[in-house]
Amino acid sequence: MPDTLTPPTITPVQLDLTVNGRRQRVQADPGARLLDVLRDQMMLTGTKEGCGAGECGTCSVFVDGKLIKSCLMPAAKAQGVAIETVEGLAGMGDLTPVQKAFHKTGASQCGYCIPGMVMAATAALRDNPAADIEEIKERMGGNICRCTGYSKIFEAVEIARDVIAGRLPDTALDPEAVGNSFIGHNTRRMDAPSKVSGRLQYAGDMVMPGMLHLQVLRSPHAHATIVSIDTSEAEACPGVHCVLTCDDVPGKDGFGVFVHDQPVMARGKVRHVGEAVAAVAADSVRAAREAMALIRVEYEALPGLFDPEDALKPGAPVIHDYAADNVVKHIPVRKGDPDRGFAAADLILEDSFSTQQVEHAYLEPEAGIAYVDPDDVVVVISPSQNITHHRHMLSHIIAKPINKVRFIMSPVGGGFGGKEDMIYQGMLALAAMKTGRPVKLVFTREESFAASAKRHPSRTRYRMGLTKDGRITAIEFEMLSDGGAYGMSSEGVMRKAAILSCGPYEIENLKVDTRVVYTNNTPSGAFRTFGGMQAQFATESMMDMAAERLGMDPFEIRRVNMMRAGSRTHTQQTLTSAAIDRVLDAAEAASRWEAGVPNGRGATRGDLDGPGTRKPCTLGARFRAGGAGMVPTVKETS
Amino acid sequence: MKRKLRGRGVAASWYGIARTATIDRAGAWAEIDDGGTAKVVTGVTEIGEGILTVLAQVAAEELGVRPEDVTVGDNDTARSPEAAHAGATRQTYMIGNSVSLASREARGKLFHEIADHWDVPVDQLRAFNGEIWVEATNKRMSMAEAVAICKGRGVVPVGAASFTAHGTGLDPVDGSGSPWQAYVFGTQVAEVEVDTVTGEVQVLGIWAAHDIGRVINPRGVEGQIEGGVVQGLGQALMEEWQTDKGHPVTHGFAKYILPTALDIPEITSVLVEDRDPNSPLGAKGIGEPALVPTAPAIMNAIYDAIGVRMKSLPATPEKVLAALAAKEAAPA
Repeated sequence: MPDTLTPPTITPVQLDLTVNGRRQRVQADPGARLLDVLRDQMMLTGTKEGCGAGECGTCSVFVDGKLIKSCLMPAAKAQGVAIETVEGLAGMGDLTPVQKAFHKTGASQCGYCIPGMVMAATAALRDNPAADIEEIKERMGGNICRCTGYSKIFEAVEIARDVIAGRLPDTALDPEAVGNSFIGHNTRRMDAPSKVSGRLQYAGDMVMPGMLHLQVLRSPHAHATIVSIDTSEAEACPGVHCVLTCDDVPGKDGFGVFVHDQPVMARGKVRHVGEAVAAVAADSVRAAREAMALIRVEYEALPGLFDPEDALKPGAPVIHDYAADNVVKHIPVRKGDPDRGFAAADLILEDSFSTQQVEHAYLEPEAGIAYVDPDDVVVVISPSQNITHHRHMLSHIIAKPINKVRFIMSPVGGGFGGKEDMIYQGMLALAAMKTGRPVKLVFTREESFAASAKRHPSRTRYRMGLTKDGRITAIEFEMLSDGGAYGMSSEGVMRKAAILSCGPYEIENLKVDTRVVYTNNTPSGAFRTFGGMQAQFATESMMDMAAERLGMDPFEIRRVNMMRAGSRTHTQQTLTSAAIDRVLDAAEAASRWEAGVPNGRGATRGDLDGPGTRKPCTLGARFRAGGAGMVPTVKETS
Repeated sequence: MKRKLRGRGVAASWYGIARTATIDRAGAWAEIDDGGTAKVVTGVTEIGEGILTVLAQVAAEELGVRPEDVTVGDNDTARSPEAAHAGATRQTYMIGNSVSLASREARGKLFHEIADHWDVPVDQLRAFNGEIWVEATNKRMSMAEAVAICKGRGVVPVGAASFTAHGTGLDPVDGSGSPWQAYVFGTQVAEVEVDTVTGEVQVLGIWAAHDIGRVINPRGVEGQIEGGVVQGLGQALMEEWQTDKGHPVTHGFAKYILPTALDIPEITSVLVEDRDPNSPLGAKGIGEPALVPTAPAIMNAIYDAIGVRMKSLPATPEKVLAALAAKEAAPA
């Protein structure tokens, strides 16, 4: 946690250490981590905080030549050590071969994990300059990346290894020559040098003079009435500049992507564990947290809803007054005559499928800074995925015209839909307006998990009718999703799930219903595919089950039913083109697919273990390679 | 039975580009600037997908400059035209086309002045990679010189444009409507190895064929596919946000399990180009669609390997073992 001011009651420890080749003396809070000293006192913000628990690797640095996670090292233990951070790897304006290779291959996407990845890759190649790919993977196994799928990172490390060893010329790191067009050219990413060097500042890296720190008090209850909130003790704490509750909202409270059902801070009741209830702005994070502990909230527990089926039962607790039936949205799609379609079927399959709630797990936790500019414009800097909509909502919430609200989108350290919801920017704006000071908020990982939206968990009931030759005659598709406590993107997710439900196939007769309900679970919202994945998981499972029953190859049954130019979609739109034929052909050819009935024939396949597959993972590559003085601790199994 | 069994599965998919069941729009400004550089202003920034690079490539192509000479900004509601949200697989389609159109307008102003300067018809002018020339002549100069001449004639070469995608809403009763004007399709094949003692599933290979309309940056597209596949793998096998009566159980990365370097299959991307006829670029998108077929392809591969159908995600080792045990117990 950034903590720029040390309360007077705490005696700082003096540290003498060498950082990136220069001797430094700092006075550190005895409770500070090495990460805090690097980021907050030395402004070395290339070292990121992703989890604060040693699990993600974004804070990796070298201490006396050994790669460590700086969130786990007490600053007080750094007396006399030599530290190397990502900023120290190359000279100013230069890049190391590892960094250049990351640039070359496109190994950085959002970039938030990348300084840590560069450090881990550097460590791997310092420890064993001849490391093979298995060893590289193992040595980088402590660093999480959520964007890239790691593949371009591995490619970069192998190129860097070979350039450093002289097996590849330095020119292997050069950009690709351009022909007669930049369209279709592997132009290197414009933002990569700033990301591989740690120079790019995300919202959590930014500081402003006079900046206060916001901390948020969150609900410990899933569903409860708020009887009272007493902030008087917190207000009286030294260093506290304001305490916020819903009473501080000057305009019309409420935000959401489709329905504005979520207050900036809980109003009257809480609807999920982790919901914002109050917030404190203070001189330091520590002061804000200490004051927050003194806010007295009296709750009266309400019966909770934790299963979407229960939400639909008569007499179920009501979570939002406007939706007495707990239904956020129902999207119906109808086409043709399903009864007639099923009557014409030779085979009718019925089954059910379910998908789980999934966290976006972007490596950059939510963060932002708000201030009021000299022209009374309320400015919010944050990694918002929708600054246009956020300014509309905030203008209602703070009762100001649109041109007095300004959103600046800071570099987004991963979003995947999870940063479309305005779950903290309202509090930041209110705190800046109330104090007249810039105010910063950085979520902890646990806070990010508890307060941000997830992928909708779903249950789908499926009925599919087919003729003997594999033609689908009718589909009934019914999906129920858990929207959690607030609407967020639920409506749109149901719409997309319904539109895409039955897959890239022309179905003459269908009946599709997608429903999402309120519960007291963590809210669900936008997440890469917006319902499309949950729906098509069911459809694509059914396609294979049907192929098995009908004795068809999975590609074949898909070709029998696929959309073509002129096809009418499930929502009765006529397509002018449909490339499903070409992608089926391409995947079949690339994978050297051996045709056959999908009846559990893996043991007899002849197309396994060929080009395009990796070896199964067996731990121990870094020991087998003879790392100095290391003993194998993991036995291979086969 | 052998302990480790392999199998393969396939899944197809489709997806719509840009906002769903509504009209979508995005605006941009472009200027050819001193020194043969360029400025593009649009209200969105990078969320990691590579949009800044795509926009620089598009602007460079249209303006005749180099991508590295293009400055892209400014993600600020008070300083830039509305480009709306960074999501819905809409960045390349909406903003790319908006930048393309704005750049064409700026180029038109420059070309008009240079054609007049050289006394040639404007349709004979070409510009690329920092140079401008007249076809089939030896008239040629740098874009830096061209901008100086244009400005010397009193004209700043600027352009502004808006791009529209004409989606329509759905009928509330039967859902009929045209939610998107551009669709993409994808197919993925997965190869897995299932350990029948531990229940662990390793994904060894993914072949991912996706229609993206037109490829602006091949590596960028591959990066999106690889990232989407690995998120799909996480969804398929390990990730699960769990709560107990609303209380989070999986608080952090120690409990919420994500794919790491050791879980990654070899991924073979195949890029299929079915150009979009309704936009200047012809490109569509790839961000979200890349994830859709991964989990069902893996589930179909697990069935191929061990003959059990995983209908409840994620297919954790515990669930795979339970399904295997149920299969053994079932009457043959």
